[in-house]
Amino acid sequence: MSAIATKPAEILRSPSFAQATLAFARRELRDALVSRWFLLYTIGFAFLAVATSFMSLAGSGSLGFAGFGRTAAGLLNLVMLVVPLMAMTAGATSVAGERERGTLIYLLAQPISPRELLLGKFLGLAVALSASVCIGFGLSAAVLAWRAGGTGVASFLMLVALTCVLATVMLSVGLLISVCTRKAGVAIGVAVFTWLGFVFLSDLGLMAGTIVFKLRVQELFTLAMINPLQAFKMSVVTQLNASLDVLGPAGAYASRQFGAALPWMLLGVLLAWGAVCLSLAAVIISRRSPA
Amino acid sequence: MSRRLLIVLTATLIARTTFATTQPSPRDSASILAMIDRAPEGARVLVPPGQYSGHLHIGKTVSLDGGGLVTIDGGADGTVVEISAPGVTFSGFTVRGSGTRVEREPAGIRATAPGVTIEDCVLEDVLFGIDLKGAANSRVQRNTISGKDLEPGRRGDGIRLWWSPDCTVQDNRVSGSRDMVFWYSENLTVRRNEVTHSRYGLHFMYSHSTTLTGNVLRYNSVGIYLMYSNNITLTGNTLISNRGSSGYGIGLKDCDNIVLQSNALLANRVGAYIDNSPSSVGSTGIVRDNFIAYNEIGILLTPNTHDNVISGNGFIENEEQAGVHGRGDLTLNRFSHQGRGNYWSDYAGFDQDADGIGDLEYRAASLFESLLAREPSLRLLVHSPAQQAIEFTARALPEMRPDPKFIDPSPLMKPPSVEVTALLSSSPRGMALSAAGLLLAGAGALSLFGRSPRLPHPAAIAGRESR
Repeated sequence: MSAIATKPAEILRSPSFAQATLAFARRELRDALVSRWFLLYTIGFAFLAVATSFMSLAGSGSLGFAGFGRTAAGLLNLVMLVVPLMAMTAGATSVAGERERGTLIYLLAQPISPRELLLGKFLGLAVALSASVCIGFGLSAAVLAWRAGGTGVASFLMLVALTCVLATVMLSVGLLISVCTRKAGVAIGVAVFTWLGFVFLSDLGLMAGTIVFKLRVQELFTLAMINPLQAFKMSVVTQLNASLDVLGPAGAYASRQFGAALPWMLLGVLLAWGAVCLSLAAVIISRRSPA
Repeated sequence: MSRRLLIVLTATLIARTTFATTQPSPRDSASILAMIDRAPEGARVLVPPGQYSGHLHIGKTVSLDGGGLVTIDGGADGTVVEISAPGVTFSGFTVRGSGTRVEREPAGIRATAPGVTIEDCVLEDVLFGIDLKGAANSRVQRNTISGKDLEPGRRGDGIRLWWSPDCTVQDNRVSGSRDMVFWYSENLTVRRNEVTHSRYGLHFMYSHSTTLTGNVLRYNSVGIYLMYSNNITLTGNTLISNRGSSGYGIGLKDCDNIVLQSNALLANRVGAYIDNSPSSVGSTGIVRDNFIAYNEIGILLTPNTHDNVISGNGFIENEEQAGVHGRGDLTLNRFSHQGRGNYWSDYAGFDQDADGIGDLEYRAASLFESLLAREPSLRLLVHSPAQQAIEFTARALPEMRPDPKFIDPSPLMKPPSVEVTALLSSSPRGMALSAAGLLLAGAGALSLFGRSPRLPHPAAIAGRESR
């Protein structure tokens, strides 16, 4: 970043892949900062995280015992409900919104490829969402430090890290929805429906399936693990308990069967969802017309 | 003058340090035996400080005192100290290095005569710790016992009583052993012992009429397990994080007339597990004023269990407050005594007349829990929003509501206050630091990357990057 005057030839040169991507990421982040949704999500998530910490400590405050273990369950539920919704709607509106406003065609008139644009948007939104998650958890940690002392710092930080991974993965799913739709409204609708599927429908279906078809534990575990939210939940539980046996026979089966590889496997499922969705989105955005 | 004094002092100091660091070679335990032989019956024998090697067999009634400075090393072979005379007192020794072969049951200290006192001893690297066989009226107190580093099934028992009634076992600290176990021994006093990282903290087999008070059991597979033992009172015990494969804070199997009162059962896999207790006609089980919190299951009863009176307890934030081990319900037990029920943290009723008793009954009916009873593997989906959705459905649609497992007709509005010893307290610094770190990271990421002022124009990008 030295202050050397640039030659005209250099100014006209088209930017490299990294430069373009980074520039778009910064633009996306700046847009996020001035837009309402980011503020709303950050305040909403922070409020819910702090409220959950307070509520789960309320019963134990007099004892000061429960510490992080109990709060974790509450925060876990909150994260699984709110973070995918945040990330998927943020992703869903981004490309579809630009397309609907007609700015996508303007942006792609610049000497950059659609992939750079997509990757830039992905990076910018990922940083924005992770920052939102960090602020929410930071306030929640302040409550925990004040009311419950310092037990479970490592588990707490692990929960934060995994939540950032979850947000990024769900963002890729949202971007995939976004590149496939023309209007922001439709994209949000599809995103909410997908969210419903991940959060409620797949699990409820799995419960019904287990009872009706008498699924064996390995089948149940495999089917549950395919859902990125369940993979996330099991990752957090393995971090908290060092084993999945708190999740009953199916969890005990998984711990015994996969042992030390289990956390990596679960993380792998999560990352695979993100990678596949983002690659698909990149393929689709370069094939579709920007209008 | 003063310099010379200094030199002398230094020289003395060096001499002393070298003397202290070069350990004298351990003496033979036979020298202790010789002292015992010389002493008259009932005398107090002070053993000179130092290391002794070899086994010691005390066959005469004496009071042997090591003053905390005597170590006896068995050299990893057999039982180190054997007491076969009645009324022996053995105090202030460090005993280490028993054999390892579990079928020979090598112990740190084994007593086979009544009226023995074993106190203030430290036992290290021993398979069995203190083993009383037919040693009635004995006292085992203030000993610290740590077992060999083996898998739990191959370890020995920290303290074992076998046909030794009327004994007192108190203020001992045991870690890394198999069990602290009491076989066929009645009228014991077991109090203020602390057992950690073992298999069964306190284990009673066919040992009746005992009181257990103020014991602390943490990080064991099972805290206290009573089997086929009657008339036992457990009060003021603290059971934290006993989470092995069975993982009970307190377990009862076929025991009559048990009183569980004012115990704290925290963060165990199952707080209290009751299997067919009371088992005889006309006997009762009383579970009263306990603090049962943060366990996966607060209290778990087998379906055939009946005639327990469960009242005045605080059931706080257990994932499942009270469960059935299998299918069925708990309606053969009473959850209220003389108009006082239990405190349930998930009770949603109210107390209009402010008498401390909720005006609506507490109905333990959870759709997800009844699904779990049908299909235990569904526990995989616990902690997920779908579970909350199911519970919500059951509340909203009465036809989906399962039959209650039990009903507490008079739920309390306040939990009992129970003294909890040995709580885990830690400084909030780590958590406060992570709070500050996370907030800084969030704000920092936003301000560092979010500063770009204009829409990217290729010229602008190239210009900015090289500027």
